Amino acid sequence: MNRATLTLLALLLICALSLVAAQQRARKLFVAQERAQIEERKLNQDWLRLEYEQRNLSKSARIRDVARNQLRMVPISPERTLYLKEAQ
Amino acid sequence: MRPVGFSTTPNLVLRLPMWRSRLMLFLLFFVFMMLLLRAFWIQGPGNAFYEAKGVRGTQRELELPASRGKILDRNGQVIATSLEAKSVIAYNDTVPDDLATDKVQKLASLLQISESDLRRKLKEERKQIFLKRQVDPEVAQQIKQLEIPGIGLNNEYRRFYPEGEAMAHVVGFTNVNDIGQEGIEYSREDQLAGHAGQRRVVVDRLGRVVEEVGIDRLPQNGKDLQLSVDSKIQYIAYNAVKNAVEDHHAKAGSAVVIDTQTGEILALANFPSYNPNDRRYLTGEQLRNRALTDMFEPGSTIKPFTVSAALEKGSITPSTSMTIGASYLVGKKPITDTHPNGVLTIAQVIQKSSNIGAAKIAMNYLSPEEMWDMYSAVGFGQAPKIGFRGAVAGTLHPYEKWVASDQARIAFGYGLSGSLFQVARAYTIFARDGELVPITIERSPEFKPGTRVISAKTALDMRQMLETVTQPGGTAVKAQADGYRVGGKTGTAHKLVGKGYGNKYLAYFAGIAPISAPRISVAVMIDEPTGGSYYGGDVAAPVFSAIVGETLRTLNVLPDSNGKQTALDDKGPAEIHTASVQTQHVVSKR
Repeated sequence: MNRATLTLLALLLICALSLVAAQQRARKLFVAQERAQIEERKLNQDWLRLEYEQRNLSKSARIRDVARNQLRMVPISPERTLYLKEAQ
Repeated sequence: MRPVGFSTTPNLVLRLPMWRSRLMLFLLFFVFMMLLLRAFWIQGPGNAFYEAKGVRGTQRELELPASRGKILDRNGQVIATSLEAKSVIAYNDTVPDDLATDKVQKLASLLQISESDLRRKLKEERKQIFLKRQVDPEVAQQIKQLEIPGIGLNNEYRRFYPEGEAMAHVVGFTNVNDIGQEGIEYSREDQLAGHAGQRRVVVDRLGRVVEEVGIDRLPQNGKDLQLSVDSKIQYIAYNAVKNAVEDHHAKAGSAVVIDTQTGEILALANFPSYNPNDRRYLTGEQLRNRALTDMFEPGSTIKPFTVSAALEKGSITPSTSMTIGASYLVGKKPITDTHPNGVLTIAQVIQKSSNIGAAKIAMNYLSPEEMWDMYSAVGFGQAPKIGFRGAVAGTLHPYEKWVASDQARIAFGYGLSGSLFQVARAYTIFARDGELVPITIERSPEFKPGTRVISAKTALDMRQMLETVTQPGGTAVKAQADGYRVGGKTGTAHKLVGKGYGNKYLAYFAGIAPISAPRISVAVMIDEPTGGSYYGGDVAAPVFSAIVGETLRTLNVLPDSNGKQTALDDKGPAEIHTASVQTQHVVSKR
């Protein structure tokens, strides 16, 4: 009887300790996951922000302004356009 | 004598009654019983209440934000996107009452509110309260560094519109809660809106999440939406309208560009416009999508439909000639032309825009019912179903109610009304060999079958007549576009002011291009041009010309005009072949 009790007690202790360890691990993993999720959101937002910035820089009004005023370009006109036909 | 001890002198013996000590014992026992009962209550039956109270201190419900869908143009360019912004929340049961004054002051200055306001907000009974919405990321970072317990930052989204004014009336805007208020943002709210989720978490004293208890709802992001509008063409149209309104000191202007093959709206521009990124100016007149919400009498732009009805009936041909004269009396007031004409062919009635001619065609060859059927078949009197709030149907009274003077005046565009959009759509029947094309604002670049209104022969005749309008002798030589043959019809309508017609005008031009194989239908309206000419041919036609030329080049449509086209070498025109139309196919990579 004593042996059985002692074995069970030992088992109980091991279980209790492993529970604590598992909880500790779970917390750690949870924190890591939270961090990763925040990172994911952040990267996603960065991507959206960059896409928006790129769009802002490539909007028609700006392209026209830069082309006309900085690069001194003129609109194309049919008189100065050569239309090429693809060989059949 | 019995010795008496000093300490036990009988004089000092207290004769206490037995009941007093009993009472004391009982009271003590009673108090202990009360404590025991209380302890039992807290541990046992009353436990749930205290447990909930404990959880309230450490558990929180956090929102899992869902983003609103993006709006893209036909080439996949972003025209509305949501970027993260922080909102500052106070959890009032966690914020300490004895918060240091300098921290309160700093927080108040970061939030740009007064210290007393902030203190009042922190004392409110509500569990959590928004201190400020949509804070800039840098400010949010500074607030976080203050490390005030119970002050948290929540993720929110703010809407950005890169195209600004040019696209404002198409996309519309959202309010501070990210709910669509105007334009596509409003009409496609169901599709665009995201649905936030919720989760319960355990937090520590500083509000940091240490454990997740459970997810109540998963967040659902909104769906992206791709429109048929091309931001380049939209900008071209907006710019052309804006310049014309400024040059002619007009009140407003609009332009609509429709792809006649697919029925897609390529541009829908209005001026004055507004910047949807700036919340301060999101009220008033400039919000109106004039091309869709304003009703006007279409004036001479209706004449081609009157003539089509008569051609379709077979009672006239383009070369039928008729006497016009200086005036034509139907009802009380005589009908006159701007420039008196003698004898004109039907084609010249269109080319010279003769009111008398149009009225005579209606009175001599058409019944009110036939006219009504034509105008109704091309969409007048019915609100276009493209999902914009406030798109008007216009008025087209039942033909039974028309008297002779109504019939004569409706033939040249007075006595019925519609929106500029309806005019642009109606003109697709000339471009599509007699079919009215179904219209869409969402990208769908395949050819669409339409509803037949007139025969292909009539449509061809009309195209030839419409082209003469833009040729020498016509009313709109200024509508000619570089490299492309165009056709269309001018309109100059007296504006209804109160009950009569004042000296205010609307100048229109509606047309199609290129004439050899029409690809787009364009309608332009300039409202109240002042200073100089107010004729459609002088005010609206140049806008049409600018839009058509640039739009067709943007769409890679091959020029069909030989008149202005000269080759670079002496060997005659260079080989001309349709450049394959490349529509950019940028699919978002999310």
